Amino acid sequence: MKSPGAAESRRLVVLLEAALLREARLWKVPLFKNGCIQGADVSSSQYQEIIFWLGEMNRLFHFCPETFALGVCVLNRLLSTVKAQPKYLKCIAFTSLVLAAKINEEDEVIGSVQDLVVQSGCSFSTAEILRMERIILDKLQWDLYTATAVDFIHIFHALLVSGHPHLVPSIGLGSASDPGSPAAGPGLQKRPAGLQAALWTRQVQHCMACHQLWQFKGSTLALAIITLELEVLTPDWFSVFTNLLKKAQVDSGEFIHCKEMVDEYLQSLEFSLPPNAVYIFNSALIPDQQRAWNPTLRLRRGRGGFAQQGDTDEFYDGFRCLYSEETTQQGNNVDSQQKNVSPCPPLHPALN
Amino acid sequence: MEGLLSCWVRICCGEEEEEEEEERKEEEIKMKSFKTSCSSLPLAEADGPRPAFWFSTLQARPPRQQRGRRSSEGGDGEGDGVFPWNPGLRFGSSHSYLSLERLGGGASAVVYKGVSRINGRLVALKEIRVKSEEGVPFTAIREASLLKALKHANIVVLHDIIHTRETLTLVFEYMQTDLGQYLSEHPGGLNSHNVRLLLLQLLRGLLFLHSLKILHRDLKPQNLLLSFRGELKIADFGLARSQSVPGLVLSSQVVTLWYRPPDVLLGNTEYCSSLDVWSAGCIFVEMLQGAPAFPGASDQSAQLQHIWTVLGVPSELSWPGVTQLPHFHPERLPPSRPKKLHNVWKRLQQLPGKTEDLLSQMLKLRPSERISAQEALKHHYFHTLPPPIMHLGDTTSIFKVPGVRLEAEVRAGRKLRPSVLHSAPYW
Repeated sequence: MKSPGAAESRRLVVLLEAALLREARLWKVPLFKNGCIQGADVSSSQYQEIIFWLGEMNRLFHFCPETFALGVCVLNRLLSTVKAQPKYLKCIAFTSLVLAAKINEEDEVIGSVQDLVVQSGCSFSTAEILRMERIILDKLQWDLYTATAVDFIHIFHALLVSGHPHLVPSIGLGSASDPGSPAAGPGLQKRPAGLQAALWTRQVQHCMACHQLWQFKGSTLALAIITLELEVLTPDWFSVFTNLLKKAQVDSGEFIHCKEMVDEYLQSLEFSLPPNAVYIFNSALIPDQQRAWNPTLRLRRGRGGFAQQGDTDEFYDGFRCLYSEETTQQGNNVDSQQKNVSPCPPLHPALN
Repeated sequence: MEGLLSCWVRICCGEEEEEEEEERKEEEIKMKSFKTSCSSLPLAEADGPRPAFWFSTLQARPPRQQRGRRSSEGGDGEGDGVFPWNPGLRFGSSHSYLSLERLGGGASAVVYKGVSRINGRLVALKEIRVKSEEGVPFTAIREASLLKALKHANIVVLHDIIHTRETLTLVFEYMQTDLGQYLSEHPGGLNSHNVRLLLLQLLRGLLFLHSLKILHRDLKPQNLLLSFRGELKIADFGLARSQSVPGLVLSSQVVTLWYRPPDVLLGNTEYCSSLDVWSAGCIFVEMLQGAPAFPGASDQSAQLQHIWTVLGVPSELSWPGVTQLPHFHPERLPPSRPKKLHNVWKRLQQLPGKTEDLLSQMLKLRPSERISAQEALKHHYFHTLPPPIMHLGDTTSIFKVPGVRLEAEVRAGRKLRPSVLHSAPYW
């Protein structure tokens, strides 16, 4: 008899492979040319704005993150299939979200289309939405069920929990809802179950709005986000990561590219906030709802108030491993890291 | 009448098996080429009329009042002479299908038997009402988008979608009957060998769905379609959903009451694949016994009562956390101890103990103790079947394994009251 962990792992690999197949079959995004979506007059900033707005709507309607991710996938596929005029962009996006909700949300949650329109504060008529619904379904041949970056976050998370149970206490990977997950370790007492996956999910939501990042498949994006965290959270990250990379069949060149951009993008989000937000952030105290669109989520700086030197070393060691660079003196790295990390003076960690 | 049908089933499954397989392969290839281009196609010689004996046997049957689907049983070749098929017709167009007769209908959809004018095949046309203010019902969107991605021998095939301004029609492969109908034609329970083959197929389909984290959430005999050779296919994915994220709060208003598991009846909203296993367990009983496992209740508490009288009232000891569930009201419950299943469902007394063992594991009150579809398939209840049956590809029917066929249903002396029988007018 094999251990239950191995059986769970096999089950998850089957799930991952099926999700990768679905993604490979249906994943499609519009191309950007001269700052605009090719074939349409939608600029990258308009696109980014609309995705943020869609995220707001998703929260307003109390839909789950998967619905948002599926809605964005539908929108992207449509934009890459038809020539969309900017004036219709909002209606297309809204309808994509309604369609995603019809697939993903329970009947009780969805509410009537009329109500959703009223809540959104938009001026569409119900008839417009329904006409658009028909167009989207026909153009995408009703083939809407795909695997999104959020799905991949959860599959990778479950793989980590089942394949590397020793990580659970140290990085709070635990999720009480995962069948077969080991008993809660001491680290879990501070973190609500499944919080880690929820944090990653929110990072994915941010990244989906970035037009440079939407060129990457959901599986690549999810893996990049998880790897950035793993680097910080565990010295053991490289073996864990290579294992995931292999299972996810992600091209390593593309992955490295994606990871750099994700890192840059998430950091840029942090800088756009008041500097002291970084210092008062305490992941264990902030309720889930407030986290939803709070970009200061990166645990690298969030945990323990500020980046600690040990974390920084691991972070850079990680990059050296990835690029097979020679080891350099750690002191230099720490300096450059601190320069890069924050324009603020290094305040002491949060007082509480 | 039952004897005739069974006889026919046996003949078809035995002697005609290989020829049939070849026909199917050819048809599949043709369907593929249709999808890639709608240009001219070779005639389907394989679709020619079948040997008349089985066909006339069925046609001699008097039409049923409630559901006429068996009255004009044909076969894929039926329409050939009358509706010459035209490869110039397109998928997705309502002109490409001709509806022949109404098979059944529910609140939101009517199902017709039809014939494709593209290739002469019989189809089931599920016509869905589109509400003007809500657009396409979520059930239709789920069903269509899930079935597009699911290809399995025990999952119904969605051929086409016709979306016009007024109506939406899903075009499915035509299946001769469904388990609800088959059960009502064989009162007193099915041949135990056939039960094994049908349950195996149900669990195969479920394993496939569950491995993709999809919950069906509406398993009942009427939603399990049967072909003339005994192939079982899970249909009606209107309530199905993917549960890729653990711990999601799900609706407890799922599954027809009689097949709803106790944890969901108690208001649990974080259920998982064990939900479908309970329904499958209920269907298992129904196939053996000829009557539903927990029938007749009209509300949740009566349904729970029904379950408790058989399986006993759970306690915090036997099911940690049960007292915290929203609808758990122990004060309303008379004390009840679990009964031996073979004392409740007498057919089990005539069968080897492994049947009862598997059933008891599928009908565990506590969801985490309920057997998974995967484990259930490994149960020794299935060990009497040829081993290759467990190693088939997803899209291969179990009837491809040599020696696997349905047996004749013997008309049992134990007739049931007609009121217990299913007559739900559903496709």
